[in-house]
Amino acid sequence: MLYPAAQLVRASVSQFSVTGLSEGFVGLRNYTRLFRQEPLAMVVANTVVWVAVVVAVTIFLSLALAQLLGARFPGRTLVRWALIVPWAASVIMTSKLFAWIYDYYFGVLNPALQALGILSYPVDWLGDDATVMGAMIAVGVFVSLPFTTYVLLAGLQGISPDVFEAARVDGASAWRTYRSVTLPLLRPALLVATVLNIIYVFNSFPIVWTLNDRNPGFGHDTMITYMYKIAFKSSLRDVGLAAALGVVNVLLILLAVVGYLKTVRWREEAA
Amino acid sequence: MQRRPTLLWWVSSVAVLLAAACDQGSGAKSRALTSIKVVIADYSKDHTRPFWQSLSEAYTKQTGIKVDLQVVDWNSIDQQVTTMIQNNQPPDVLNLNAFSSYAKDGLLHSADEVLSPRTREDFLPAFVRGGEYQGKLYGFPILSSARAFFYNKDLLARAGVAAPPRTWDELVTAARRVRALGADTIGYALPLGPEEAQAEWAIWMWNNGGDWKSGDQWAINSDKNLQTLKFLADLANKHKVTQVNPGKTNRTDGAFQLFKDGKVGMVMGFSPLAKQLDADGKIRYAVAEMPTNIGTAVTLAVEDYLMAFKKPGNADAVKTFLDLYYQPETITRWIRAEGFLPVTRSGLEQMRADPGLTPYLDALPSAKLAPTTDPAWDKVKLDVQQTIGLAVQPGGNPKQVLDRLQQNAAAAGGR
Repeated sequence: MLYPAAQLVRASVSQFSVTGLSEGFVGLRNYTRLFRQEPLAMVVANTVVWVAVVVAVTIFLSLALAQLLGARFPGRTLVRWALIVPWAASVIMTSKLFAWIYDYYFGVLNPALQALGILSYPVDWLGDDATVMGAMIAVGVFVSLPFTTYVLLAGLQGISPDVFEAARVDGASAWRTYRSVTLPLLRPALLVATVLNIIYVFNSFPIVWTLNDRNPGFGHDTMITYMYKIAFKSSLRDVGLAAALGVVNVLLILLAVVGYLKTVRWREEAA
Repeated sequence: MQRRPTLLWWVSSVAVLLAAACDQGSGAKSRALTSIKVVIADYSKDHTRPFWQSLSEAYTKQTGIKVDLQVVDWNSIDQQVTTMIQNNQPPDVLNLNAFSSYAKDGLLHSADEVLSPRTREDFLPAFVRGGEYQGKLYGFPILSSARAFFYNKDLLARAGVAAPPRTWDELVTAARRVRALGADTIGYALPLGPEEAQAEWAIWMWNNGGDWKSGDQWAINSDKNLQTLKFLADLANKHKVTQVNPGKTNRTDGAFQLFKDGKVGMVMGFSPLAKQLDADGKIRYAVAEMPTNIGTAVTLAVEDYLMAFKKPGNADAVKTFLDLYYQPETITRWIRAEGFLPVTRSGLEQMRADPGLTPYLDALPSAKLAPTTDPAWDKVKLDVQQTIGLAVQPGGNPKQVLDRLQQNAAAAGGR
């Protein structure tokens, strides 16, 4: 793990020709150049929206799904297996499948929504600036659900039934029990699920790359796809500059995770 | 009990790793050459790997030198090649759509070192010019293609368009009529998304008398070019004859897919598209010259390259490999299989016999190439791909986009 990290740092302080040929040490010049890039602010904003919304919606839906899968009902095994499918499929294939579902001319989403009377005219989900991010977030949530649900389900099943029994005897309502008993006891599982999701969603490349590949410019890129474009797909074509962004990305994700853990611990102490 | 690693231990491991990283590459010096690395772009799943695999086997049989063959997807080839060079492990032979940046960086053998005169004399002159950097041939033509104007015969007939449009005015009229056939019908499919926007743009630009450069200087924001880009924006937003969001439509999975599905009246295609259409057998189509605004139709030819990287003692081994590929029957067999066009005189003669290729071969002499001989092009191309589509979106600003491209191109040439 140290070797690639050292390589990344070394590349970030070197100058490279378009071909990838190293032209020597340039100190922090790539970093100062990076912060002068015009699209950077928008890309950072996109990244914050992408990570925050995907993680929040995923956790919220996973809590509900975990509750459902924890309950006994006919066909539970089947549903549990079905939930694994989006996890087992490669994210690239899933993204391509969704690119097709969203397609303006060939996709199934527009006809379905029109048939249901939800839309009166078709929408170019992946071409319209207003809908691209939402379309990507939906796929991000879809592929994050299985893992998160299973982490939370494991957490739920780790809670002793006695606690619920005690809450019932005390006459607590279902909602009250959930808020005052289940959620606090799920805290460790929630913490793990959130931290891992933040890292995973931040670093996710295939979804944004595949669903956004038709759009020129950097209007819907996250910091990960922007890094790739800086290196290979924009007129910058500069692996040194991209490496600088790579280093910034690693630091940022560390900062985000530490920040999250600090906030959570602070709240715990305050409570 | 196990001792925890000390700080000193960590520091020294990092130091060792860093030293290893810095030292990498300088170790591999002149050992006897036992293998060469050949990196080829994947033109098609069916033909590319089998062809180069069998060529490599023939080469190993003849020379005893092994071939480390890597067939790489077009989407990731830039990344992989850059990484190879960054790690000081360049290929011996590389196939790519660019060469001049590598020549500029002094990484390549010129033709004098790795091509036999017989091979070199067989190249068509236009493709030799397209592979030269500072007067020397570094980018050896591997194959070529040319764009042509495809139209759906049934759709044009239903729309009452008797013949394919020859001028831009006729194109607008024809496209409007086709568009009027139904809500889902597209007059002209215009792919200005990032995949290949520079190719689509170049054809329109040339057919209005504009160009990338004027003399040695970039001329991307010329008045002619501005007029062209405004015309394309009008096709999308005023005449509304294109598919939805043309600035955000790619070629392969966008415009071509729509044409193959019978939704499109007209599109600019190339011979591999014809091959796919023939295989599908679903669309009745024909091929014509590009509609032009200046009287003479101009089309785009694309030349892809083979290049040989300078590595200690590899010139002879590479030369043998290239000579093997450039044997007239061998190169033509592959170009035929992939559905592309010849780059050699002998190939041109052989392929004349194929009537399906006539429109492209006829267009080849008057076709123009992108300015791939200028190393700045490698950046300009990417800039065009990432920006020109924005100009044809509603509210786009063609002048601003072209001015910006011009400014960046001039700056890229400066370095």
